[in-house]
Amino acid sequence: MIRLFKVKEKQREAAENANGRAPVKKQSAGELRLHKDISELNLPKSTTISFPNGKDDLMNFEVSIRPDEGYYLGGTFLFTFQVSPIYPHEAPKVKCKTKVYHPNIDLEGNVCLNILREDWKPVLNINTIIYGLHHLFTQPNHEDPLNHDAAAVLRDNPKMFEVNVRRAMAGGYVGQTYFPRCM
Amino acid sequence: MAEPKSKYDRQLRIWGEQGQEALEKASICLLNCGPTGSETLKNLVLGGIGSITVIDGSKVEEGDMGNNFMVDLQSIAQSKAKCVCAFLQELNDSVRAKFVEESPEALIDTNPAFFQQFTLVIATQLLENSILKLDKICRQYNIMLIVARSYGLTGLVRISIKEHDVVDTKPDHFLDDLRLNNPWPELKQFAESIDLYTTDPVVHKHTPYVVILVKIVEEWASAHGGKFPSTREEKREFKELLKSKMISLDEDNYKEAMEASFKVSLPCGISPQLHQIVNDSSVEIDSSSYNFWVLVAALKEFIENEGGGEPPLEGSIPDMTSLTEYYISLQKIYQSKADADFLAIEQHVKGILKRIGRDPDTILKTTIKNFCKNARKLMVCRYRLIEDEFNSPILTEVQKYLTDEDYSVAVGFYVLLRAVDRFTSNYNRFPGLFDGEMDEDTSRLKTIAVGILNDMGCNGSSLSEDLISEMCRYGGAELHTVAAYIGGIASQEAIKLITKQFIPLTGTFIFNGIDHKSQLLFL
Amino acid sequence: MDNHNSVSGENRWRDLDKLLVRPGNIVGPNFEPGPQLRDDLQAYAKVLVVGAGGLGCELLKDLALSGFRNLEVIDMDRIEVSNLNRQFLFRLQDVGKPKAEVAAMRVMERVSGVNIVPHFCRIEDKNIEFYGDFNIIALGLDSIEARSYINSVACSFLEYDSDDKPCEETIKPMVDGGTEGFKGHARVILPGITPCFECTIWLFPPQVKFPLCTLAETPRTAAHCIEYAHLIKWNEVHGGKSFDADDPEHMQWVYSEALKRAELFGISGVTYSLTQGVVKNIIPAIASTNAIISAACALEALKIATGFSKSLSNYLTYNGAEGLHTKVTEFWKDNDCLVCGPGVLIEVDSTTSLQKFIDLLREHPTLPISKPSMVHRGKNLYMQAPPILEEMTRSNLQLPLFDLMGRIPKDVIHVTGTVTLNDRKTSALRKLRIVFKGNVDGVADMDMAGGA
Repeated sequence: MIRLFKVKEKQREAAENANGRAPVKKQSAGELRLHKDISELNLPKSTTISFPNGKDDLMNFEVSIRPDEGYYLGGTFLFTFQVSPIYPHEAPKVKCKTKVYHPNIDLEGNVCLNILREDWKPVLNINTIIYGLHHLFTQPNHEDPLNHDAAAVLRDNPKMFEVNVRRAMAGGYVGQTYFPRCM
Repeated sequence: MAEPKSKYDRQLRIWGEQGQEALEKASICLLNCGPTGSETLKNLVLGGIGSITVIDGSKVEEGDMGNNFMVDLQSIAQSKAKCVCAFLQELNDSVRAKFVEESPEALIDTNPAFFQQFTLVIATQLLENSILKLDKICRQYNIMLIVARSYGLTGLVRISIKEHDVVDTKPDHFLDDLRLNNPWPELKQFAESIDLYTTDPVVHKHTPYVVILVKIVEEWASAHGGKFPSTREEKREFKELLKSKMISLDEDNYKEAMEASFKVSLPCGISPQLHQIVNDSSVEIDSSSYNFWVLVAALKEFIENEGGGEPPLEGSIPDMTSLTEYYISLQKIYQSKADADFLAIEQHVKGILKRIGRDPDTILKTTIKNFCKNARKLMVCRYRLIEDEFNSPILTEVQKYLTDEDYSVAVGFYVLLRAVDRFTSNYNRFPGLFDGEMDEDTSRLKTIAVGILNDMGCNGSSLSEDLISEMCRYGGAELHTVAAYIGGIASQEAIKLITKQFIPLTGTFIFNGIDHKSQLLFL
Repeated sequence: MDNHNSVSGENRWRDLDKLLVRPGNIVGPNFEPGPQLRDDLQAYAKVLVVGAGGLGCELLKDLALSGFRNLEVIDMDRIEVSNLNRQFLFRLQDVGKPKAEVAAMRVMERVSGVNIVPHFCRIEDKNIEFYGDFNIIALGLDSIEARSYINSVACSFLEYDSDDKPCEETIKPMVDGGTEGFKGHARVILPGITPCFECTIWLFPPQVKFPLCTLAETPRTAAHCIEYAHLIKWNEVHGGKSFDADDPEHMQWVYSEALKRAELFGISGVTYSLTQGVVKNIIPAIASTNAIISAACALEALKIATGFSKSLSNYLTYNGAEGLHTKVTEFWKDNDCLVCGPGVLIEVDSTTSLQKFIDLLREHPTLPISKPSMVHRGKNLYMQAPPILEEMTRSNLQLPLFDLMGRIPKDVIHVTGTVTLNDRKTSALRKLRIVFKGNVDGVADMDMAGGA
């Protein structure tokens, strides 16, 4: 290709005097795939999405979920999504920003959802994750606990669990832990 | 500042403290320090090899500036061995670096005992005559030898040692030693203590698959006249049986059990490879036997007695979905069986040592333990004398290579590399060294190469004309990239030999720098 | 020291010259042997080495001793003690200094006549023109992210003619290497001809991630205990302070917490070294494998530049753990690849509004794509969903596409929408090459776009 290199060198010298193109932003394959995911979102009615950095940063967004049934009816739970440039090779990082009394979400906002870690596959998408999160609120499960105490109460005393969830959502203490109001 | 070991952190994760210790004790002799030799040693010096001795009788020339990183302008007209040695020393001051300004050929001819002091000799860019002599010397003193050659866009690496035994072979994919279809009493008992039909969903989805398989295969066997699933249909049915025990779809432990279900059908007893080793003639121990063969003899006794046909249990289990307490209990059950097997082997070792009149404590406990852990993965590599390979190559292999499209270039290079050496001893220069004599050299080289093939008993016309003229085009050029590639392989093989870990290359590696379709030839 | 005196005689390149000056029968296309070839290589070939680590150090040396004279190297890292077992251009007293600068200096000291410009920065800090300057890019990286980034940069120079054939002069060749322990790969990427990094991203296995509830409830291995301390316990105890894997105090804290947890559950095997390995996802690395892989890459770079031999086509795997195995696989490029594929060429009048363009897409003979959402170089032109983005982009519908795309006469946009495949509606993401006609501010290089 050395001949082409020579040609290019001459072109470059010529171009230095002319106006260069405006610096352009590169788009990763991950951003493109995310663009597809976002433009095809079909969210449950109770869910809204927002883009804190404006319409051109899709890689960081927030999803708020208002469960329409179950223990968490009436609450609003905010999740942040951080999507990597090599999405969907790697799952988005999802954190729950609302402090919640939940067997599968700990007090730091870590979420135990298999498709966010060990079972992530590139064929899954943002919609799948949002539905998965939604499902956690309608069907919390005590078998994969991240909040051990909440899981034990759900297993042994569902009535008590319900009381605790209502108390936490209304803003109050469950045991030693204070939960800000999220209704 | 830094702990002394942290600079080796990234390699300690591969070969561990033991491997590093072996490297630090090793002394390497390098013959010829052109780019191939320099690059080989560079990688070993960086890794912390004990000592290097560079043998080269030549002076640095201008042409060395174009392919050797271990010389610079100030080196011109000085001893190449001295300059290369100094630059190598810069890379790692814990290595003892020495040089001898003498031609390797002369040293081989006049002072064969010189090589006795080394762990490993690496011969680079040496011609056939000297290689054959050196090979015999190394055999005689039981010194490991690596031959490395870069030539134009080809090259070769060949190991020569009478025998190299590896315990810690670290294979990539090796089936776990779980004994699912013949559990020993403690494992069986533990499995029996667990109720697969527990109503607690947390326990149900955290029952380790080892327990599930041990129990269900027993259930299967009792319903099938004591037989394990063997046909494809039976294996499918067995999986269905496992599936039927699930109480919800997200039970990872049952998914793992289904994935591992083929393991219950594996034959008991030792693999054909291990069978060959325990039946090797070296198992007939005498007072001069290597410790390795003493251990193999003990292993054989164990298999025939306590083992009931099985080698000692490895003792480790893979991670699997499980309650912590179940997993820890399982670990302990496997570990204590492995410990018991080790004690039995240790008794055999002591007995054998006593029998051959050696101190029964001469083989360390840790050595025996490591041997037991790796008993299923042992490897014995034996290499022919290079002269034997040259005089009587395995004809069927040569013929296969000559007609196989994937091998024809590699075997062509193999023959041509030998032809180049003969040409060089006849004419005292490489073929194609001078632009003006290309055509003549090509036909001379062809004659020699055809002769070599004919001597092997092969048809000389199978050699491609293009490859012969390509070889002449190289004119003995040693490209830096080819040297770095060949040197990389030579140093990698040196590390495997010295650490006695991983499996060294067997056969002759022929580099194909044209399209990278390099090959191993077994001749 | 007077290293800047280049060697006077022609003899310096005696070995390389045999292959560059003499004709041969087994050579690449366009091989023009002769002394001019080596001179041109030195004068015109400009190579960027990305990464000055284990592979990068080797690549710089290999390229400098293969006749390349104009090299640049980019790396954002500083030298660490654990680099010294393989990154042979660095010494103990260099620890803490920028890798790119020390590597460039060492190779220039040793190999007279070579010029290496170091760039101590992130690859994202350089603009696209920086990368446009090089004839070949050699990648010595250890992350998928960085490879993916450089790949998309290199592919962004690629242009296709009206027959969807890649324009040779826009191809930015890459050689890419990677190693792990005794294993490695080397590959040649000619965007538009051989598969690009994205075409074969599935070659990289996804990283294993433990379920959080396993870490919290049923730890079984030392790694589980370490990840618990790192991912869960750290936040619990340190609140907002983020974990820094390069801070030894943070690492020590995770180690001691992991150890406590391991003791609690009766798990063995937690060591400081394993803690570092798990938390930083350390990949073991040795000099020899790096040397082998880099040598293969540099050799291929020399072939791309000079054609003195055939090329690796196109992916070499190396495994030195069990014996020695090398294998060449010819992967196929994905013609629909969003990064290196040709996409669909569309001519549009410079006055066409976005809304009208959307109508055109629905009627397009080869595309037909309906309900499109469109993005141009990271700028969302129009989004069908979610409603919030639809609202934010709706006003664009009335504006000319030419203006929305920054009045560039030709460029690429990506479109997601509905297409009909075998009578079934399905969603698709497409790359479009837009060429504007009409008044495009007198920019006259339309010939490059083809079809205009």
